[in-house]
Amino acid sequence: MGHKGLDKIIALQKNPANIRNLCILAHVDHGEKEYLLNLIDSPGHVDFSSEVSTAVRLCDGAIVIVDAVEGVCPQTQAVLRQAWLENIRPVLVLNKMDRLISELKLTSLEAFTHLQKILEQVNAVTGALFTSKVLEERAEKEDHAGETPGADQVYDWSAGLEETDDSHLYFSPDQGNVVFASAIDGWGFSIQQFARIYSQKMGIREEVLCKTLWGDFFLNAKAKKIMKGAQAKGKKPLFVQLVLDNIWTLYDAVVTRRDKEKVEKMMTSLGVKVMARDSRHSDPKVLLSAICSQWLPISQAVLSMVCEKLPSPLDISTERVERLMSVGARQFDSLPERTQELKNAFVQCSSEAEAPVIVFVSKMFAVDAKALPQNKQRPLTHEELAERREQARQRHADRMAANQQAQSSGDPIQMESLAAVKEPEVEEVAKDTFVAFARVYSGVVRRGQKVFILGPKYDPAQGLNMLPEGCMASDSVPEVPHLTCCTLDSLYLLMGRELEELDEVPSGNVLGIGGLEDFVLKSATISTSPACPPFIPLNFEATPIVRVAIEPKHPSEMPKLVRGMRLLNQADPCAEVLIQETGEHRCLDDLRQRFAKIEITASKPIIPFRETVVRPPKLDMVNEELGRQHKTAIIHQVKEEAPQSRFSDTLHVDPGGLVTITTPNRLATVGVCALPLPTEVTCLLEASSELVRTLEQVNMSLREGRSLTVSPRTLEDIAHLKARLAALLQGHKWKNAVEHIWAFGPRRYGPNILLNSVEGYQRPSVWQCLDPAEKGAEPCAAALRDLDNSIVSGFQLATLSGPMCEEPLMGVCFSVERWDLQQTRARPEPPSRAAATDSEGAEAGEVVPEDGGAGLEAAAAATPEEEAGPGQVTRHWAGAGSAGCYGPVSGQLIAVMKEACRHAFQARPQRLMAAMYTCEIMATAEVLGRVYGVLGKREGRVLHEEMKEGTDMFLISAVLPVAESFGFADEIRKRTSGLASPQLVFSHWEVIASDPYWVPTTEEEYLHFGEKADSANQALKYMNAVRRRKGLYVEEKTVEHAEKQRTLSKNK
Amino acid sequence: MSIFTPTNQIRLTNVAVVRMKRGGQRFEIACYKNKVVSWRSGAEKDLDEVLQTHSVFVNVSKGQVAKKDDLSKSFGTEDLTEVCKQILAKGELQVSDKERHGQLETMFRDIATIVAEKCVNPETKRPYTVSMIERAMKDIHYSVKANKSTKQQALEVIKQLKKSMEIQRAHMRLRLVLPAKEGKKLKERLKPFLKVVESEDFDEQLEMVCLVDPGCFREIDELIRCETKGRGSLEVLNLKDVEEGDEKLE
Repeated sequence: MGHKGLDKIIALQKNPANIRNLCILAHVDHGEKEYLLNLIDSPGHVDFSSEVSTAVRLCDGAIVIVDAVEGVCPQTQAVLRQAWLENIRPVLVLNKMDRLISELKLTSLEAFTHLQKILEQVNAVTGALFTSKVLEERAEKEDHAGETPGADQVYDWSAGLEETDDSHLYFSPDQGNVVFASAIDGWGFSIQQFARIYSQKMGIREEVLCKTLWGDFFLNAKAKKIMKGAQAKGKKPLFVQLVLDNIWTLYDAVVTRRDKEKVEKMMTSLGVKVMARDSRHSDPKVLLSAICSQWLPISQAVLSMVCEKLPSPLDISTERVERLMSVGARQFDSLPERTQELKNAFVQCSSEAEAPVIVFVSKMFAVDAKALPQNKQRPLTHEELAERREQARQRHADRMAANQQAQSSGDPIQMESLAAVKEPEVEEVAKDTFVAFARVYSGVVRRGQKVFILGPKYDPAQGLNMLPEGCMASDSVPEVPHLTCCTLDSLYLLMGRELEELDEVPSGNVLGIGGLEDFVLKSATISTSPACPPFIPLNFEATPIVRVAIEPKHPSEMPKLVRGMRLLNQADPCAEVLIQETGEHRCLDDLRQRFAKIEITASKPIIPFRETVVRPPKLDMVNEELGRQHKTAIIHQVKEEAPQSRFSDTLHVDPGGLVTITTPNRLATVGVCALPLPTEVTCLLEASSELVRTLEQVNMSLREGRSLTVSPRTLEDIAHLKARLAALLQGHKWKNAVEHIWAFGPRRYGPNILLNSVEGYQRPSVWQCLDPAEKGAEPCAAALRDLDNSIVSGFQLATLSGPMCEEPLMGVCFSVERWDLQQTRARPEPPSRAAATDSEGAEAGEVVPEDGGAGLEAAAAATPEEEAGPGQVTRHWAGAGSAGCYGPVSGQLIAVMKEACRHAFQARPQRLMAAMYTCEIMATAEVLGRVYGVLGKREGRVLHEEMKEGTDMFLISAVLPVAESFGFADEIRKRTSGLASPQLVFSHWEVIASDPYWVPTTEEEYLHFGEKADSANQALKYMNAVRRRKGLYVEEKTVEHAEKQRTLSKNK
Repeated sequence: MSIFTPTNQIRLTNVAVVRMKRGGQRFEIACYKNKVVSWRSGAEKDLDEVLQTHSVFVNVSKGQVAKKDDLSKSFGTEDLTEVCKQILAKGELQVSDKERHGQLETMFRDIATIVAEKCVNPETKRPYTVSMIERAMKDIHYSVKANKSTKQQALEVIKQLKKSMEIQRAHMRLRLVLPAKEGKKLKERLKPFLKVVESEDFDEQLEMVCLVDPGCFREIDELIRCETKGRGSLEVLNLKDVEEGDEKLE
């Protein structure tokens, strides 16, 4: 024990058999022995489980600490699961035994049963993990066998639950992997210690005692024999009699009764000497810990257990090696041969020079640059001191000179020179460096060594193919994905907060590597051989769930924020940073002060919505049959709003929902009506948006006369999409609809459709690329009418922002029923027109507006001219009209089309669509009720719940509106004391049933809701929130009640 | 006539007066504060919540009620409620503090929304959030003018913001098709407008896809139309050139 020098540690590192890499899954004090213990302490709370994951990966064994009073907590389960997944051997420490005595006031017998229960709980968790794994593997095997009968036995060791031996997994004091301790009082013991003591005293063999000291055994005092069945016969079990009773009497004597004489006696019988100062101390705890730490020193108990029970790096099981090396679903056998050879290096863990180096970096952590050994303040030598003094003197002289100058020439220079002096210091302070937290699995790592750094996605087979045989990291290496070369600059020994520089680290050790921050993001594998596979990614108990949008307080500090986020991403294994389409930077941790060093505001994320229309409802809000009057009410409402728009005089809405608008120059009239699309169609379009986008690109190029080569596969997909759309759009209303699809929107690939129902307008369908004959022979067979593009643009604009709250539309079909271009030009022009055919008409079109005629006249004048020359091209015509006071016709038509779509939309019952999360919740049976409570409060809907096979966990899946999800995870964790943890994933859009514009109309509704419909309308609430955020007009009174305003008198 | 002694002096403290001149006469009605604007926008539908009393005055503060003859002469009706509604709809009023505050706030938001929609961070090609623009606007102490349209003001704000932060209008992607004859000449003249030329294709005619600042769209349009006599064409491919999709920061 005691502190060993650095040299000793380096010497010990050489011998892997004496190394124990372990992590503490909770807290404990520690000492050191002839073994080198690389202790990695990790925080116990569930929220830090990512830290545990990184620690567990680098270790061979773990000490799991369980509170003797509270027993198994969620975090205990979590760490046990992680230890299990990483295949490392845990030992158990039952801590806080003193609380059983002093707080719970249990008798020794009660304490024994309590301890037994806790142990059972812990073992139950392990057992559950084991059974679930066995069941899983058996199922997998059955699948496997079903697919390829007679396949090789990959899982031959685990045929079934009954045949698999699991006794070695469990914690049991008689196996020596449990220690009972009270860290605060400084004592701890394992059964073996007591067995040793009593075997001398009672003359019973130590092995026998070891086996019987824990369990249902009692000592028959007369026969001096150990018998079974203590409980049945009402005797004290051996453990109580020999172990607990002694401790209990000690506590009784020292703490409770403070019986000096008895304590003296006990001390002599135990052979413990306590300093007089301690025994006279007024606090009995001091005396107690003085006695205990000599009688049953905790360090000895724990460390001997660690050394005996936990494996050294040499004992790494081949199974674990294979698991570490086989990435993803791939079998170890399928890896390249040279990779498989590396396994031996792994298992041998040799530190010879020629052994391949394999190092795994599990995380990067930030260290203040000042803490690095090379930057540390060293006592200065004489020469250095002298040099510095000289420098200081020089500087002082400079400053004096500058001062004198400044006095003569003004202040600025002085400022400058001072700034120049200060600059370098500031530079130094502001830096944080990253140190990789890593472990050597094979070979010796030296400073200055050239190595390969393998990213998590590196594929050894690919790497081997691309690299020349026998390639070393020092050679120049061709580009291989996820593989980089670098030199290991500095190696550190991690000693708590201190870092000690090392020259080389042999295998089996934990170390810190500096200078990797440019190569390693979070975790990586380092090797001298390109054949080495990257290790499997860390198992994270918790996936990131809490999302916050952050932005710098001062917009100009954006780059700094991005840099800070990058660093954070590197440092916290559980953080993911996304830059969103909308420009929001999202991150998952508040600890960014350190990395970004700027002021940041975390804002509420913006909740997206969609707008849609539905069929007119048949029932009103009180479930009464609805007649025709409701429909008219809706249309009436639209008409009321209409006068506000610019198109008031030309707008006409008929009761069927058909909206006709004429452009301000009376040249074009558009009639549009909106229809809800069936849900399946919307889903289909949503799912195949990529395909629609390609389709649109193909069409675009076709229209220009270019042909874009499309793979037959894409064509097939498009044909398939068309067929499915046709299958879904059945019925009278949708007759031939698929053929007439004009465009998709918004952005040309969204889930809304523009339908061409104009009589006598044959326009090439969007599916034209499917028909090669048409494409090849005559691209203009069905000609585009003038300004076709304007209609589409208008539709795109309308679908991009709906009338309710300027959110995109979804699942709406706009059918263009009428499209007249000033009656005279309603017929499409002959298809055989070309750009250069009619220069005369073009000139005419140009001349007229130059006369300076006002818009309508000009357009009217242009019309006969154009009719005279029928070979007119869109642009000419547009050019003619554009001189009018309303801007170009194409622009007008876009605006009109947009307005028409919006009004057609409003003529239908409108609904908001909310984004929904699917939510997977794992919860134990006890907290199910509370989970349901939280879900219900936030308008979630449970889809199903089922029990997970082999455990007592329930798996609940539910849907939850995104708008209600903020703080959901927090709340659910709080309410269930951490026993349930939800995972939210975006799933779909769902129509909110309530109408945002709803007001009571029928008599029954008035009765039920009152005149103002005071009960909160969820849809209206969402809508107004969005409108307010966007600065749109919200129909809201500034003051609710006129009479209730405060009257401020001015003259009094 | 009226004697202002403390006992019979009635102060109208919670009154907003709406005035209107009709037929050479001034008419006034007494309304509640903060309510008239709501009535005009249609949010308030209950007339009694707006009017203090259904009578029409010549002078509200003096309590002089308008004569019936005058009313029928000017409004053609004697129905007081009807007259009140007319005055409410068309009369002039002083906007109260709360109403003005609310209006300016909405405009402020609207401006910020427009700016956020139109602009991107030139480095990342991603838009800024509305809240960031709002903060930036507050930082430069932009004051909203109630009588100017939000769109105009937004353009103004963009100009001012350019001084304090990295901001730029999102570029428009255009395709220009120019006849071969004028192509060369026109290209030179267009050069100053084009920010980025993405592709250029010169065979029968010059075809270019380029990014331009939306502000100079009109000028480009004008130039092409005039110079080519309508044979050149201009097509908007994309109103806003913005990075799409989430990017994982690594």
